[in-house]
Amino acid sequence: MNLIAAGDIDPAQSVNWLLPPLSELIYGGIASIIIFALIYKFGGPAAKKGMADRTAKIQAELDGAAEALESARTEAEEIRRAAGDIASERDRLLAEADEQAAALLSEGRERLAAEIADLEARAEAESAGLAGRMGDELRVEVSRISSSVVDQLVAETLDDATQQALIEDFIQKVGARS
Amino acid sequence: MSDALVDGYARALFEIARAEGNLDEVEDELFRFARSYESSDALRAALTDDMVPADRRQGIVESLLDGQATSTTMQLVSMVVGSGRGRDLPEIIDSLVARASASKDLAVAEVRTAVALSDDQVSRLKAALTNSSGHEVNLKVVIDPTVIGGVIATVGDSVIDGSVRTRLEQLKSRL
Repeated sequence: MNLIAAGDIDPAQSVNWLLPPLSELIYGGIASIIIFALIYKFGGPAAKKGMADRTAKIQAELDGAAEALESARTEAEEIRRAAGDIASERDRLLAEADEQAAALLSEGRERLAAEIADLEARAEAESAGLAGRMGDELRVEVSRISSSVVDQLVAETLDDATQQALIEDFIQKVGARS
Repeated sequence: MSDALVDGYARALFEIARAEGNLDEVEDELFRFARSYESSDALRAALTDDMVPADRRQGIVESLLDGQATSTTMQLVSMVVGSGRGRDLPEIIDSLVARASASKDLAVAEVRTAVALSDDQVSRLKAALTNSSGHEVNLKVVIDPTVIGGVIATVGDSVIDGSVRTRLEQLKSRL
C-alpha cells in the first residue's frame, strides 16, 4: 500500500476515506484473484477430498447405523423367534411331562392294585393257614387238657380199695404166668 | 459217658459197699436216690451244674441224705457228684444194682406203682415175678404217681404193664 502510494498517487491529491486508489484496487484485485486461483487449484482438491471423505465417513456411519439397526432388528427377531421356540419347547416339555406323569400314575396304580391284590391273597392264605394252625393247636391243646383232666379224674376216682384191688389183680395175673 | 466209665464207677461203688458189709442196704438206698434224682429237675440241675463248685454239690448231697441213708451211701453219692459225674449218677447206680443182683444170681425187677406196697404185697409180687421170669429177682419198688393205678414191672428186657396210665393211653389212642 505504501509502495503504491509512493509510486502512483499524487501526494497532493486527497485520499478517500473509504476507497483505496484505483491502481491499488486493480493490483489488489488481481492479487486476490491469483490467490483465490491458487487456493482453488491447490487447496480445492484437498477440500474436495476432505468433503468427500467426510461425506463417505458420514455415509459409512449411516450405513453402519443402518446395519446396526438391521442387526438389532434381526437379533430382536431371533430373540422373538427364540422366545417363541422356548415357549413351544416349554409347552412340549410340559405336555411330555404330563404324558409321563399320566403314564407313571397309570402304571403306579396298576402296580399298586397288583400289589394290593397280592398282599390280600397272601393275607388270606396266611389267615387261612393261621386259622388252620390255630385250629390244630387248639385241638392239640384241647386233647392235652382233656387227657390231663381224664387222668386227674381217673386218679381221683381210684380210692385206696381200688388201688389195692388193681395191685392184687396184677400180682395174681403175674403169678399165674409161667 | 462211656459204658466202660459207668461200669468202672459202678464196680468201684459196688466194691466199697461190699467191703463195708452193707451192700444190700446201700444198693437199695442208692436205687431210691437215683429215682429221686430222675424225678426232680431241681436236684438234677443242682448236681450237674458245672458252675456250682464241687464241694457245694457235695454239700447238697450230704444235706439231703444226712439221717436218711447210711454214711456209705452218702459218701458214695458225694464222691460221684464231686468228681463231676452227677449227670451219670442214675446210670452208674443202675449198673451197680445190676452188678449187685448178678453177684447174688438175681435179676433186677423194677416195679412202679402209684401207691406204696405193703410188705406182704412186695413178698407176693416178688414171688410172682420170680415165677413169671423163671429167675429169682431183686425187687426194687418205685412210687410213681404217673402210673395212676396198678403196677408196671420190668425184669430185664421184659415189661409187664398193668397200669391204669397205659390203659388210659390205649383208650385215648383208640378215641
